[in-house]
Amino acid sequence: MQHNNAMLDRELKKGSAELLILSLLENEPRHGYDLSKLIETRSGGLLKFRVASLYPLLYRLEHRGWIQGRWVEKAGQRRRRYYKLTAAGAGVLASQRNTWRDFVEAINRITRVEHA
Amino acid sequence: MPDWGRSVNEEMQQHLDDRYDELRAAGASHEEAVRATRAELDLDEPAESRKGADVRERSTRPASAAAVAFGVGDVVGDLRYAVRGLGKNPLFATTVVATLALAIGATAAIFSVVNAIVLRPLPYPDADRLVVVWGNLPSIHLQDIVVSGAEYVDFRDRSRVFDAIGAYDPAAFNLTGQGEAERLNGVVVTGSLFPLVGARTAIGRVLQDADNQPGRARVAVLSHAVWQRRFGGDPGVVGRLVALEGQLTEIVGVLRPGTVFAFGENEPDVWMPIVIDAELLSDNNRGSRTYTVLARLKPGVTIAQAQEAMNHVADSLVRDYPSHYRGGFTTTVRNLKGDILSATTAGLYLLLGAVSLVLAIACANIAGLLLVRAHARRKEIAIRAALGARRSRIGRQLLTESLVVSTIGGGVGLALAFWAVKALVALAPADIPRLHEVALDGRVVAFTAALSMLTGIVFGVAPALQASRADLTEALKEGSRTIAGGHRVRRALVVAEVALSLVVLIGAGLLINSFARLQDVAPGFDPSHLLTFRLAPSTAKYTFEKSEQLYADVFSQLASKPGVEAVSAIDALPFSGYGGDRSFFLEAKLNPPPSEKPDEQVRFVSAGYFSAMRIPLRVGREVTPRDTLRSPRVAVVNEALANKYWPHEDPIGKRVAFDRQEPAWYEVVGVAGNIRHRTLDAAEKPELYVPYSQPLFQGWTARPMFIVVRTSFQPTSAAGAVREVVASIDPDQPISSVRTMEDRIGESLGRRRFNTLLLSLFAALAVTLAAIGIYGIVAFAVAERTHEIGVRLALGARPRHVLAMIVADGMALVLAGTALGLAGAAAATRVMASQVFGISATDAATFAVVTIALALVGCCACLVPARRAIMLDPVTTLRAE
Repeated sequence: MQHNNAMLDRELKKGSAELLILSLLENEPRHGYDLSKLIETRSGGLLKFRVASLYPLLYRLEHRGWIQGRWVEKAGQRRRRYYKLTAAGAGVLASQRNTWRDFVEAINRITRVEHA
Repeated sequence: MPDWGRSVNEEMQQHLDDRYDELRAAGASHEEAVRATRAELDLDEPAESRKGADVRERSTRPASAAAVAFGVGDVVGDLRYAVRGLGKNPLFATTVVATLALAIGATAAIFSVVNAIVLRPLPYPDADRLVVVWGNLPSIHLQDIVVSGAEYVDFRDRSRVFDAIGAYDPAAFNLTGQGEAERLNGVVVTGSLFPLVGARTAIGRVLQDADNQPGRARVAVLSHAVWQRRFGGDPGVVGRLVALEGQLTEIVGVLRPGTVFAFGENEPDVWMPIVIDAELLSDNNRGSRTYTVLARLKPGVTIAQAQEAMNHVADSLVRDYPSHYRGGFTTTVRNLKGDILSATTAGLYLLLGAVSLVLAIACANIAGLLLVRAHARRKEIAIRAALGARRSRIGRQLLTESLVVSTIGGGVGLALAFWAVKALVALAPADIPRLHEVALDGRVVAFTAALSMLTGIVFGVAPALQASRADLTEALKEGSRTIAGGHRVRRALVVAEVALSLVVLIGAGLLINSFARLQDVAPGFDPSHLLTFRLAPSTAKYTFEKSEQLYADVFSQLASKPGVEAVSAIDALPFSGYGGDRSFFLEAKLNPPPSEKPDEQVRFVSAGYFSAMRIPLRVGREVTPRDTLRSPRVAVVNEALANKYWPHEDPIGKRVAFDRQEPAWYEVVGVAGNIRHRTLDAAEKPELYVPYSQPLFQGWTARPMFIVVRTSFQPTSAAGAVREVVASIDPDQPISSVRTMEDRIGESLGRRRFNTLLLSLFAALAVTLAAIGIYGIVAFAVAERTHEIGVRLALGARPRHVLAMIVADGMALVLAGTALGLAGAAAATRVMASQVFGISATDAATFAVVTIALALVGCCACLVPARRAIMLDPVTTLRAE
């Protein structure tokens, strides 16, 4: 676990964490805790965001104009900050997704050749 | 873009809360959930670890909160952050700074005054050992009276407890032959008095004991001021002969500037020796008491020991001169400062008490404001701590912020105090002793500034530090115990503020009420259109008969001026500060026991005095020009005297005399209305009026008189005519104390007006601060409950009910405060008994009106934020963006 966290940290720096966030926001607005839960569950517990990393990252994405946060208050609940993908963010997501797909395909091609 | 620091904190708190809730829902214990939540934050990592630095790198550029949390770390950074933080919340910063400044300014100013006047020693060598020795005549209830020359000499020769002893008597001298004639304030003294009060000369010499011996040349010492004003600062004045009271007198010295002698009175311009001759010491004059005795205790001698010693001296006088002291004779030894200030201290301590309450209210207000702020930042601080900032770092930052606010507030307060002291001295009535010594006092400023800063630190830093120490998860939970505790403290502070301000308000209300009643008091005569001045014929130039002619000439010439309706004179004019009692005998009771011997205020009046003053005559007639030594002696009494001595008889025709051996009978021919003589709040005293032209004894001398001129126009415009008339009759005859009667009455109200004005100002300040406090707590409560209010409104609650709910919550505090305040005021205003007039110190009407007024102010302070809350659109409130 500790190892994975450390790895994810480095991945975040490289930018893949950005891709995860943007992807999760593609279809619907989500709040921070929701995002971190989804990342953890969908990765089967392999990927886990630390609080101190996730929110600064969200801030940076918002600062770049890729996502937009707004406070939403629902009856009987505390207010939450929901993030949605902006048009600019959608463009970035598309391009990053392509890059990632190319990258993964390249890796796969190499690893498949070895196995074949 | 929202403020990232605050926004992200809230998100992170929610994250941790959600995590905690989820873990608990999954069956984890509280401890396990907390441990897991903390693990999410990597709390086990050292604060300045590489990871922390890493995060900082990525996240601090725009985020000042994070900058501090991760320890940017220098003082400049702290300062910049503090200033920026305050700039983001200008209302908070302004309120705290203004509160501090007003509290420091007001307290420092008043305390400077009290310190200079009451606390600081008199500007004399060994001032704490200086005492005044008064005489008492117990059989006729006379206390603290001046003593005769013979008694002074006996005190001097028979006591062993004094280092030095001296006597003085204020006097006035006509200076003539040096340009315009002038009446100079002066004092006759023993030579021993100069070293006692540390009076030294700039040129020449002071008076010495030898000057008090009989047969010496007439000598005088001048004040520095009169030397400059009348002699142009000419050093050749020493040795010059000048005419004082028409007698040539040699100037032997000029005092240094700044010599202080007469506290609250005019400083003497001329100092002349008391001539201690056989006449002064004769048995005949043992009872003519005019001298005040000043002495310095020997080192180590207490007042009580000196009193004991003087008791023996007084006993020896009674033994040695039994015929003079049939009713006994005692002395009172009193500390000089206490003696001078006895009339002043009560009012000043009242103001000091009031301003201390204002300071307490201000501190409570600042405490409340900072607690709110600390609460608002509690989660932010908890997050910072959780993210690895050391507590000392957070503490230093908050301390910096408190100090920045306190320093600005203190600086503005200092400027305010500096200005306020000047204003106080300018506003204060001139008869307050030592007023010229008042200056802003550095220690006072330091004290109040330190107190306010301490308040800022205790209430600004302590709760914040507590937040950083608290368990993060607990801190992030709404309504945790410590937060509720802070809330209770804030509510208690508001209750205290309301209570304290009610005390100040009621005090001010009592003074205002008293002042209004006092101004409505009729003095017993018509003070409008009256110009008054003093004429003191020199006894060297004017015999009694000549003085009669002088006065007659002045009256007739003034009366012929257009617009002058009446002119007359009295020796002791109301509101002039003059007055004096004299003993007399009733024809019906020539041999009363000593304790019943009549001793009342006796005035000498010229013809037409009562009509000129418009003092009503109840029965009989007033003094006329026909009342002379060639006609039967007459007297007019006032109602108080008539009621005292002839309660069930007709006073007309009753006779009194001033000498039992050879009585010259004065027949009462009229009864006049009572008047207020010294002040409007003084009781009306029995008075006996005797015509100036029918002197009491043979060999009567010319007496100074106050001339009253009733005009049909603005009385001040008659001043020129007055000077002209007197100068045309005798160019060497000065006049003094030219004032309208209304001015004199106004001056007599000076201290009261001053105290009332200041206490009202403090009350206004107190109420403003309390209103800010009430507003603050209600606005805070409304902000915290915005969501709840929105829900209520959305569910159909009437805005009226929501408003009532919020106001009721605030008013509960106001009412608790007023209840406490009423109890406090009932206790505190008892010390004001001497300051109120016409009402009791617990006047129910004043208490009620002031309490209702404060409650209304409190209600308004609640209404403003409450109205804002119900104006919110419920949908907007719930959507919250």
